[in-house]
Amino acid sequence: MNRRQFTFGLSAAALSHLEAGTHHAAKADACIFLAMLGGVSQIDTFDPKPKLVDLDGKIMDWSKEKKTDQPNLFAKPRKFVASPFKFQKYGQSGREVSELLPHTAKMVDELAVCRSVQSDNGNHPAAVFQMNTGFIIPGNPSMGAWVTYGLGTGNQNLPAFVAMPDFRSIPFSGAQQWGSGYLPAEFQGTVLRATSEPIRDLASPGNVAPEAIKAEREALRGMNGSFAALRADYPDLRARMDSYELAYRMQLEVPRVLSIEAEPEQVKEAYGLNDPVTASFGRRCLMARKLVEAGVRFVEIFTPSQSWDAHGDIRKNHEKNARETDKPIAALLADLKQRGMLKKTLVVYMGEFGRTPDTPAEQKTPGRDHNTRCQSMWFAGGGMKGGSTIGTTDEIGHKAVENVYHMHDVHATILNQMGLSDMRLTYYFGGRNRRLTDLGGRLIQELIG
Amino acid sequence: MRFWLVLTIGCAGLAQEPLLPLLGKQCGACHTGKQAMGGLSMDSIEALKQGGKHGPALRPGVSAESLLLRYVTGEKTPRMPLGGELDAKAVAELRAAIDSMPKGESLSKRDAHFEWLLKKPGAVVAPVVNQRSWVRNPIDAFVLAGLEKQGMKPASEASRRVLLRRIYFDLTGVPPSPEEMRKFEADADPLAYEKAIDRLLADPRYGERWGRHWPDLVRYAESDGFAIDGERPTAWRYRDYVIRSHNEDKPYNVFVQEQLAGDEGPSRNLVALGFYRFAPWEADANSKKQLRQDFLNDVTGTVGSVFLGMTTGCAQCHDHKYDPIPHKDYYRLQAFFAGTAIADLPVDFNEAERPKEMRRRFREHEDAAELGQAQADRQKEALKLRYMSSMKVAKDDEGLKKFLGQLNTRNLFFLEQDLPLAKEPEWREPIRVYFETRDGVQRERELARRHQALAYSIRDVSPPAAPEVPETYVLSGGDLNARGEKVKAGFLSCVAGNEPAEIPFAGGSNGLRLALSDWVASEKNPFTARVMVNRIWQRHWGEGLVRTPSDFGKNGDVPSHPELLDWMANEFVAKGWSMKAMHRLMLSSATYRQASINAEQKDYAAKDPTNRLLWRMNWQRLDAEVLRDSILSIGGRLNLEMGGPPVLFSVPDDVAQGFEFFKWFPSSEEQQRRRSIYLIQRRSVLLPMAETFDAPNLSTSCARRLTTIVAPQALTLLNGTLTRTEAKHFEARLAGAKDAIGEAFWLVLGRGPTADERRMSEKLSLASLGVVLFNLNEFLYVE
Repeated sequence: MNRRQFTFGLSAAALSHLEAGTHHAAKADACIFLAMLGGVSQIDTFDPKPKLVDLDGKIMDWSKEKKTDQPNLFAKPRKFVASPFKFQKYGQSGREVSELLPHTAKMVDELAVCRSVQSDNGNHPAAVFQMNTGFIIPGNPSMGAWVTYGLGTGNQNLPAFVAMPDFRSIPFSGAQQWGSGYLPAEFQGTVLRATSEPIRDLASPGNVAPEAIKAEREALRGMNGSFAALRADYPDLRARMDSYELAYRMQLEVPRVLSIEAEPEQVKEAYGLNDPVTASFGRRCLMARKLVEAGVRFVEIFTPSQSWDAHGDIRKNHEKNARETDKPIAALLADLKQRGMLKKTLVVYMGEFGRTPDTPAEQKTPGRDHNTRCQSMWFAGGGMKGGSTIGTTDEIGHKAVENVYHMHDVHATILNQMGLSDMRLTYYFGGRNRRLTDLGGRLIQELIG
Repeated sequence: MRFWLVLTIGCAGLAQEPLLPLLGKQCGACHTGKQAMGGLSMDSIEALKQGGKHGPALRPGVSAESLLLRYVTGEKTPRMPLGGELDAKAVAELRAAIDSMPKGESLSKRDAHFEWLLKKPGAVVAPVVNQRSWVRNPIDAFVLAGLEKQGMKPASEASRRVLLRRIYFDLTGVPPSPEEMRKFEADADPLAYEKAIDRLLADPRYGERWGRHWPDLVRYAESDGFAIDGERPTAWRYRDYVIRSHNEDKPYNVFVQEQLAGDEGPSRNLVALGFYRFAPWEADANSKKQLRQDFLNDVTGTVGSVFLGMTTGCAQCHDHKYDPIPHKDYYRLQAFFAGTAIADLPVDFNEAERPKEMRRRFREHEDAAELGQAQADRQKEALKLRYMSSMKVAKDDEGLKKFLGQLNTRNLFFLEQDLPLAKEPEWREPIRVYFETRDGVQRERELARRHQALAYSIRDVSPPAAPEVPETYVLSGGDLNARGEKVKAGFLSCVAGNEPAEIPFAGGSNGLRLALSDWVASEKNPFTARVMVNRIWQRHWGEGLVRTPSDFGKNGDVPSHPELLDWMANEFVAKGWSMKAMHRLMLSSATYRQASINAEQKDYAAKDPTNRLLWRMNWQRLDAEVLRDSILSIGGRLNLEMGGPPVLFSVPDDVAQGFEFFKWFPSSEEQQRRRSIYLIQRRSVLLPMAETFDAPNLSTSCARRLTTIVAPQALTLLNGTLTRTEAKHFEARLAGAKDAIGEAFWLVLGRGPTADERRMSEKLSLASLGVVLFNLNEFLYVE
C-alpha cells in the first residue's frame, strides 16, 4: 500500500500532517515486536563467553569505570559469573545459542542477530521508554504509533496498532509505552486482552436485548443523518458517523479474528496453549499472527514488567522466563514461515538493555545486573538476513566493541524495513520536527537482506 | 552515513557553475526534489539561494553567511553531511566557489514577523468598517474589516438556544437545564444574553471548567511518572488554587507571579509554586545531578512556552534554529532557577480548603491506619503460630522466615504462585483476611497523606539556607559534562538585551525568581499579555488567532489578526489583567455570536477553508471532561462537591493488581460522580475515557487538545459503563414525566424532538433513548 488509508481513525488535524505513505518500497507490511521486559542476558543466550569460565568467581575491577549503570551495585566488590547454560551450534548457519532457548535455537537460520546494541540509561523505566519511544523520558510517541502515523492502517475493521501487555504486571507507565505522545490519539496502540472482552467496551452490554441494541443503532443513524445533512460542510460529522460504522464492524470482526478456540489442536499445542506456563505468552503470539494476517500493522507483546531482571539468580530467573516465552516464539516464527507470511512480517526480539558479566561478590546465588553497553537482540523475516550475526563484544561480554549500534539504529532499521525513512518521518511539535530516532539512526545494514 | 546529492538531472545550464562539481559528490537522496530534507533542495543554484526552512542555503559571494558552509564546517549543528564530514580540501573549494560568485542583494533581513513579535503592542485603533451596525464591540471591527477586505460578510446571529448552550459549555462545562433554556428563550430582556454571561462567570462551575485548561499547560499530574509513579499526595492543593484563582478572577499577572515567586513576591503563595514541580520525576534516577539538570531544563522550557509563547527549550543544546534565542539565553534564563530546590513545605490549610475537616480527616485516617496495623499484626502473628504448629517448627526455622516474608507479597495472585500452601482451604481464608487488613492499612495511610497540611512546593538553596547560589554554565549540547561559559541570570536577549537582570532584595531569599516574575508577569515583555489573550480566545473559538498558542516564534503560526491581538492585549492590561473581563468582551462580541453556518458558506469555504477570517463560528467537540460531566449532569447525578483530595475512579481488577509499586483503591461510588477535574491525574493510570477522547498525556505541556475521531470513542459511548449506567438513571429521572420523550430531548439537547425524531424514539426504551442521545453529534459538538 502506498497511500495512507484512514479507516480506523480520521481527523482533520491529522490529515493536515499527512505525508505520502511509504518513503521507499517496503520489505515488511507488519511488525511483531516481542518486548522482553527486564532485560535478557546476552551472555546466557546468543553471545557465549568461554573466558568467563576461567574468570568465574574472580573479582572484577570497576575502579576505572567512570559511569556505571547502577552506582550502588557497582560500588561494592563484584565477581565474575560464568554462564550456567551450555551453548551449542544450530542450523545450517551454525550459530551458537544456549540451551536456555531450545526452541528458538531450532529457528536460528531465520534470525538476524545483533549482539552489539547499546542504549542510554540503565534504569528500567527510562530504558523501557527508550526501547518503545526512542527517548528516556515520557511524553513521546511509541514506535507503533510512529509506524501507524507513517503508513496508516492496512485493514478496515481492526486497529492498526495493537499492544498486548501481560496483566500480571503491566509495563511501567502503562499506556504511555504504546501511547501516541504528541501525535494525534488515533495513532495510539489499542490494548488487546486475551480474555472474553479483548478490547475495552467492544461488546454490547449483555443485559440489553439484541433487538434493543439494533433499534438504538438505527435511531442513532437516523438522527445523526438528518443532523449532518443540514450541515454538509462540516466533514467531522460524517467522519464520526463512519467511525460508528467501523465500531459496529469491529464488534463482529475482532472476536472472529481472535477466536483461538477454533484453531487446530496442533497449532494450539505448538504455541503452548495447553501448558499453563506457556499459555499466556503463547496465546498472545497466536493472536499476533492472526492480527497480522488480518492486516494489523504493528503488534507489540510484552512480558511482565521486569520479568527478565535477574539480579538475584540468573539461572532461576532466566529459566522461568525462557520457559514462558521460548516455545511460543519459535512456534510463531514457524507458523509465519509455513504460511508464507514471514517474508513480509518483521519480528523483533529485544529487552530494554543487556546484563552484566558479574554479580555483587557478597551474593550467594549469582545474578546479573543492568548493562547498557551491549545486548543481543534479533530480527526475523521482513527482509532481514536470516542466519546472520553482527556485532562483537569484549571477551567478558561487558561491552560492544565492534559494529556498535544504538537503540535508535534498531528503530531506524524497523522503520526502514517497513518502507519508512527515520529521517523523513517527522512531526512538528514544541518548536521543531520530532523523530522516533531524534537526530537519526543508522541502519543495521549488515543484517538487511 | 547520508550522501550528498549527485547533481546530474536537468542541470545542463548549471554545469558551468564552479560550485556544482563539488556538490556533485555524494549528495544522496536527502536534498532533492519536492520532498527534500528540511525543505532544502539542491537541484539548482536557484534552489540553493531559495533555501529550506532554515533560510537561504547560499549567499552568493559571502561564504561566511552561507548556511551551506556553516553546516558542513560544523558551525551549525547537525554537521552535514549527517554522520560524515567533508575533508578540509573540499570545504576550502566550496568556500572559494561561493566567494567567487557575484554578490547578490542582502538576504539576511530579519523576518517581518519578528519585528511585530518583539515589539510591545503599540496603541491600536479599531478600523473603520462599512457594515457598522454589526459591530457590538471593537473585536467586531477588526474581524469585519478583515472580512470586508475580501468582500465577505459575517454569518447571521446564532439562535438563542445555540448561544446559551455555547456559553454554558464554554464557561461551566455542563449544559443548561431545560428550565434555564426555556426561561432564556422566553426572556424579553434585550440584555438577557449579557446577564447570562455574568451569571455563569459568577458560578463556581466556571472555575472548575477553566481551572482544567491551566493544568493542561503546566503538565499537571498528581504522580511522578516513571517506574514508581509515586503519588504526589498534596498536589491537589495546586489544582484547587487554580480553580479558586479563576473563580476569584485573580488578575493574571498576580496568578503568574505567585507561581513563579510565591515565596518572594508581593503576593505570597507557596502552593502556587507547585508549578515548578509538575514534570515527570524519576525518583530512583541513578544520577541525581542529571535529575536536577532535567528539572532545570523542564522549568526553563516550560516558563518559555507557557508564559511567553517562546520555545526556549529548543535552545538547550544549541542556538534556536528559527527564533532569535541564542544557546546562551537558555542558560541565562535557567540561572533564575539555580537557587531553587524541590521541597514539601508545611502550609496550613486556608479557609477555602476547609481546615477543620482536613484536620479531622487526617486524624481519622491516621487512627484507622494505626488500629488496622494492630489488627494486621495480630492476624500475622496468628498465621505464624498456625504455621509453626502445622509444620511443627520452631521460631527460628528458615521455612517460617520465608513464609513470613512471602506474606509481604503484593497480592494474592502472586502469593499463590510462589506459595502453594496459600491455595489450601484452611489457609486461604485467614491469609485473605490478613491481606485485606494489611491493604486497608495502606489505603488509610494514603488517605491520611492526602490530608496533610503540606504544599508540593520549592524553596531556595541560597542565603540564608545555603552559603551561595550555585553557578550556572552554558552546557554545550546540553551535556552536564560540557561546561562552557559562566552566565548570570538574564531575560531573553532579543527583547531585553544582554545585560544581566537586576536582582532585587527579596528578604531572606535570593530574589532571582522575583526578578523573573517581575519581568514575565508584566507588560515589560511583549509576549505575556498577547499569549494569554490568545489562549483565552482559543478556548472560546476552538482556535487561537495564533493557532500554535505556545509557539509565537517563526515556526509557529502567523497571527490571523495581529492588530486585534494587540488591541486585546492592551485591553487585558488596562482592565487589570482580568480574565473575566476578557471573557465578557469576547463572548458579547458579534463575532462570537455568529451561527456556525454562513449563507455564503460554499464560496467562503473555498476562499478560506479554515475560517481564519472568522466568517462563522467554529464547531467544537466537547472535551473529554465536559463530555463526562455533562452525561453525569443530565442523568441528574453529578456530585457538585468542590475541592479536596483526588477521587480514584474504578479500573478493571487485573489493572488494579498490575502495579508493582502501589495499590489502587477506588473511591466510593458517590465520590466517583464528582466533576472530572477532581479525578486523580495519575500518570500511569489515565482515565480510559479521557484517554480515548484526547485528554493530554500528563507528561508534556499541552497547549491545544486534538480532536480525533476513532472507533474506540464510539465503543466507549455505546457500550461503556458511564453511558449505560447514566442512561438508566436518565430513564428513572424521566419516569412520570408527561411527555418523557420530549423531556429527554430537552435534557440532552435543550430542545424538543422533531416529528421524525419522536417517531424513531418511540421504538426505544427511555434508557436506550438516553444512550442514543449521548451519542448524537448534536450532543458531542457545540455549534
